[in-house]
Amino acid sequence: MTALSMSARPEEDTSLRPVPWRRMGWVTWRQHRVTLAGVVVFLGALMVFLWLAGRQLHSAYAAAIAACHPANPLTCPNMVNAFNGTNDYLANGGILQAVPVLIGAFAGAPVLARELETGTFRYAWTQGFGRWRWALAKLVLLAVVLAAVAGVFSLLLSWYYQPYFAEGNQAVSLTELTPFFTGLFNLRGIGFAAWTLAAFAIGALAGMLIRRVVPAIAATLIVYAGLAFAVGGWLRQAYMTPVVTSGLNVPGSAWIVSQWWTKGGRFAFSGFPPGRLLERLCPAGPPVPVGPGHGQKAAGLAECLTQHGYTQWTSYQPASRFWLFQWIEGSGLLVLSVLLIAVTVWLVRRRAA
Amino acid sequence: MTALTTPAPPREDASLRPVPWQRMGWVTWRQHRVTLAGVAALLGALAVLLWIVGLHVHQAYSAAAACRPTSSAICDDMFGNFSVMDGFLANGFLLQALPALIGVFVGAPLLAREMETGTFRYAWTQGIGRLRWALAKLVLLAISVTVASGLFSLVTTWYYQPYFAASNPVPQPPLAPTLFDLRGVAFPAWTLAAFAIGALAGMLIRRVVPAIAATLAVYTGLVFAAGGFLRAHYLTPVLTSSLNVPGTAWIASQWWTVTRSGQFAWAGRPPMSVLGNITCPNSGPPNGKPTMVSIEQCVVQHGYTQWTSYQPTTRFWPFQWIEGGWLLVLSVLLIAVTVWLVRRRAA
Repeated sequence: MTALSMSARPEEDTSLRPVPWRRMGWVTWRQHRVTLAGVVVFLGALMVFLWLAGRQLHSAYAAAIAACHPANPLTCPNMVNAFNGTNDYLANGGILQAVPVLIGAFAGAPVLARELETGTFRYAWTQGFGRWRWALAKLVLLAVVLAAVAGVFSLLLSWYYQPYFAEGNQAVSLTELTPFFTGLFNLRGIGFAAWTLAAFAIGALAGMLIRRVVPAIAATLIVYAGLAFAVGGWLRQAYMTPVVTSGLNVPGSAWIVSQWWTKGGRFAFSGFPPGRLLERLCPAGPPVPVGPGHGQKAAGLAECLTQHGYTQWTSYQPASRFWLFQWIEGSGLLVLSVLLIAVTVWLVRRRAA
Repeated sequence: MTALTTPAPPREDASLRPVPWQRMGWVTWRQHRVTLAGVAALLGALAVLLWIVGLHVHQAYSAAAACRPTSSAICDDMFGNFSVMDGFLANGFLLQALPALIGVFVGAPLLAREMETGTFRYAWTQGIGRLRWALAKLVLLAISVTVASGLFSLVTTWYYQPYFAASNPVPQPPLAPTLFDLRGVAFPAWTLAAFAIGALAGMLIRRVVPAIAATLAVYTGLVFAAGGFLRAHYLTPVLTSSLNVPGTAWIASQWWTVTRSGQFAWAGRPPMSVLGNITCPNSGPPNGKPTMVSIEQCVVQHGYTQWTSYQPTTRFWPFQWIEGGWLLVLSVLLIAVTVWLVRRRAA
């Protein structure tokens, strides 16, 4: 027999080299610098714009407060109208709601989908580093950076929307919103960063599952919109048991979850009184002088029905729970994002190369 | 000399075959059926949602409109109930995203995907020629998305009717930016423009994701420019010195002059420096808040004239056709430039 001689492997190779985590930072930066620069430019431009618009809003608010405390009958309504009309296209938050999902769709969805679509994953995932560490390092780094950038941006948003939440606005007809106002709740506090993180995680998982960039972007938009609607419309109001009261003077800053009426201890109807009942009991009731706030007007109708033996029940979330709700929502989204990223990494590991 | 003989090309090849336009329809459908199905599903689902919510809104509105006597506390409450019914749709912001989304997902990948993946080398060397290939696909898809969004616009037009009804105590100005372009012919026109912007961006940038981002940015800029600056100048605004401008008019600008000399005084609302120096003992009801009109009347009594230039509500349809018209011209231009770029590009 011929003896086959093989040279023994050098000792160094059998022991694994330390994992070069730090170099992954450089790789991530090189691969995603255009995206990250795009996000920073986009948010930076928005910040400049919001800063200019916000100074207008804040000075209009200061002018209104100065004119109405003490009330000057001539200038106060003028300044109030000026404030309520300032930047009304931003007031309900509609446009800015798109910012987290745009970041998530453009930064999150292509991370894995682009590698899979163009085939570059064959090179990237066969490096010594190992494919799941590759995916983990990139996802975690990008997630942390994007959440941090969004957090900084949301400081400006919180500042911008401050005047709408000041107590006592309603008394002088200035716009006053409950801090839970659905269009603005997730733009302020820690909500904005948490939603951006969630959008990124959704995008990354969608990219891994669908493996094509454009469909992954579309799926991210749809899933995020569904999640935002579900949370804003149903979940958020159930974070804590609402306070129930039969009083007619619910504070204007409260977030009213539902209203229903009882008569003689039995459920009568929910929400707005049916037209037939109103026609019978309060036929075009006495014309109450129209007050400045909506609360006073509603009281006119409620008082009429109360006189007929009905009781109005209101379940609401008081404004003092704002920060509690912010932390509940923030930590819930953080847990969701970590889970989604973990599933993504697990899928990368599991996939047959 | 040796005579070189080459066989004459056969007759059939010399004359061009008829262009198979019809087959391009089939190719376009095959390549884009998933996208088109997605658009149809999105618009269909939204139409159903609008229909369901819209039935409630219309019901609440007709209940409030039937309430007598008008402007009693009860009727005010019923209108209040109507106006808070669908907070997330009433201002139109959500639906503003639709044309942009269609343009981004149908228009931008149309050429960018072929260029990015390299399949254009196969597609553009087919017998039909790359010019006709691009033209046929662009025109067919443009017509499809315009027709689909035109149908959808019927639903939005119906949905938003109560907000503009004459019996509404706080009617919206039909020309105001966020709802004007969701109704009538403007909605399909904006969808077409978004598609054309996407197609050109894809041809210029040649990569799908950057083209999508560019389309979003350009479209948003165009919407803001049209709503904020252009639309106010489609027709010369009506000028009046009366204080009773109809509530549904779209006010372009307001300024004040000194009545006696006709000199310009200030623009917008009366400044504090003026209001501080005048007194109007009878402005507003006793023990109540004076209203805006009474302040203006008061300033008028002190020798100033308020000028308002506005677009009356009756111009809604002329404005719709003007906006639809220029967007159509813009879209045709953008598609023409895209096709020209396809033709010019070295294969």
